[in-house]
Amino acid sequence: MNVAPRARMNRNDEVIVTFPDADRELSNRVSIVGVGNSDFAFDYETARSRKAEPVHNMADQLALTSFERALADSGLTRRDIDAVGFSYFVKDYSAFTPELASDALGLRPRHAEMTMPIMMGVVPQAVAMLARKDVDTFALIYSAPMRSIRRAFGGDTESYGPPSYYYYHPWGWSSQGAHWALKAQRYLSQYGYAERDLGVVATTLRDNAGRSDFAIMQDPITIEDYLSSRYVVKPLHLLDMCLVSDASVCLILKRTEESAGLRTIPVRVSGWGRAETHKEMFKHMVVKALREEYQEAGRQALDMAGLDIAEIRHFEGYDAASIHLINQIEGYGFAAPGEALSMWADGHMKYGGGLGVSTSGGMMSEAYTQGWGQVLEAVRQLRHEAGARQVLDLAASMTSLSTPDGAYPLVFTRGDA
Amino acid sequence: MTSSNRRPNRTLGGVHDRFWELCQRQRLFLQRCSSCAQFQWPPEEACEKCGHDRLEWTEVSGRGTLASWCTFVQKYYDALEVPYDTVLVALEEGPLFISNPAGFTNDEARLGDVVEVEFVAASDDAGEFFLPVFARVASQT
Repeated sequence: MNVAPRARMNRNDEVIVTFPDADRELSNRVSIVGVGNSDFAFDYETARSRKAEPVHNMADQLALTSFERALADSGLTRRDIDAVGFSYFVKDYSAFTPELASDALGLRPRHAEMTMPIMMGVVPQAVAMLARKDVDTFALIYSAPMRSIRRAFGGDTESYGPPSYYYYHPWGWSSQGAHWALKAQRYLSQYGYAERDLGVVATTLRDNAGRSDFAIMQDPITIEDYLSSRYVVKPLHLLDMCLVSDASVCLILKRTEESAGLRTIPVRVSGWGRAETHKEMFKHMVVKALREEYQEAGRQALDMAGLDIAEIRHFEGYDAASIHLINQIEGYGFAAPGEALSMWADGHMKYGGGLGVSTSGGMMSEAYTQGWGQVLEAVRQLRHEAGARQVLDLAASMTSLSTPDGAYPLVFTRGDA
Repeated sequence: MTSSNRRPNRTLGGVHDRFWELCQRQRLFLQRCSSCAQFQWPPEEACEKCGHDRLEWTEVSGRGTLASWCTFVQKYYDALEVPYDTVLVALEEGPLFISNPAGFTNDEARLGDVVEVEFVAASDDAGEFFLPVFARVASQT
């Protein structure tokens, strides 16, 4: 079995991830032919009500559900899966090996490896291997019992990663939420929006989640509910933040030429991009809203796909927080700087508007999947299987993983178009 | 003198110790690259911009403008009672500095307000130290 580490740390403890650059030769060569996910809502309630420590192999358990569903969705069998990427988030990696994880799923792949837990470079890397015919059928599996292992996302427990995760403890500044809060305050002040104006993101995503069978948060909310939800880091409320939930998502990929005749409409991986800055993070993240990185990465992805942004009518952004989603919508060029919130209020990004955004509720209302749920939803939308939330006649979608300082979009198209 | 201004622990060791030693003078020093002249904060072993490892601790004006701010309402630290305010200051020399406001609150803050560093006595597990915070000297309103 071949185990290839892909991530390494640089001298600032930043994780350096390598994956293929955008390349027109790789556009549409590979398709997603099967998808599956764990029971987000049921598992959320289970994690909340659990009294004892969770079982040690929770990631394996979650993954089994999403994997078997993806397999059934594709019509393939375990014997067909000859490559697996494990994007697992576990408390203790010393006990994790791709061999054991394969075994837990009943698989005997030729190639198995640990991949990035977040949706960064995982699909491009698999596409490159499939296109080279190193392997024939790739299962990519995200599994993260994030709620059960009680990750805090801030405070004294954060002692590694980029400086913004630990350096500012003496001033009491910490947490992922605080990154987003600085962005939000700057944006609201700069463009003259009131705090309540940001609430349209939370209310819309909740409405979208009400149209998804799997979503954790399905009850509609009003702007008043939004404003009365507690602050986490002001100006951001609880309802501006993504959920923390246990989740697994599985994607099965094959070469497009071998995807015809399977039971699903193939969804082609058409493009991707990458732009990031590990320097002067606050300047790029807060002051410049990562605009240059979104512009560059979006251009790469659209060029590779041979599409214009006007042809993208469905966008799944990385909604770690409402403001981060707004920055992406404007950064990629779906709206001019400062205009996304007013366009949203006018209905452009709501169900039935010109641009479907996070149509199954995103990480703020459906489930916390570190970007994997976005790809899952793109596949369902492009297959026209999204039911009550379907973007009509959709042919091309963009998803976006975005860290505080990086942009990693993917472009997908419907395979029979 | 013991400070009752208890704070979560600083990052110490290597270049970080020097930053806090210089804060004892109640003047603000940042690393400046002797090759490309870029100022940077937090301290690093090498220049963020050009990678050069000759960095010189250089006193800065201590003045800047408010680039953003946020208020912690959820409690992340045992040592700190919520709510409390934090600010992001764009220093005249370039770096963005995370700090706390002194003598004003975030409710009064406006983008571009001019602020200036001052130092308050504080303590953590490693002992007493002076913490740089920022007072407002001119408002945009």
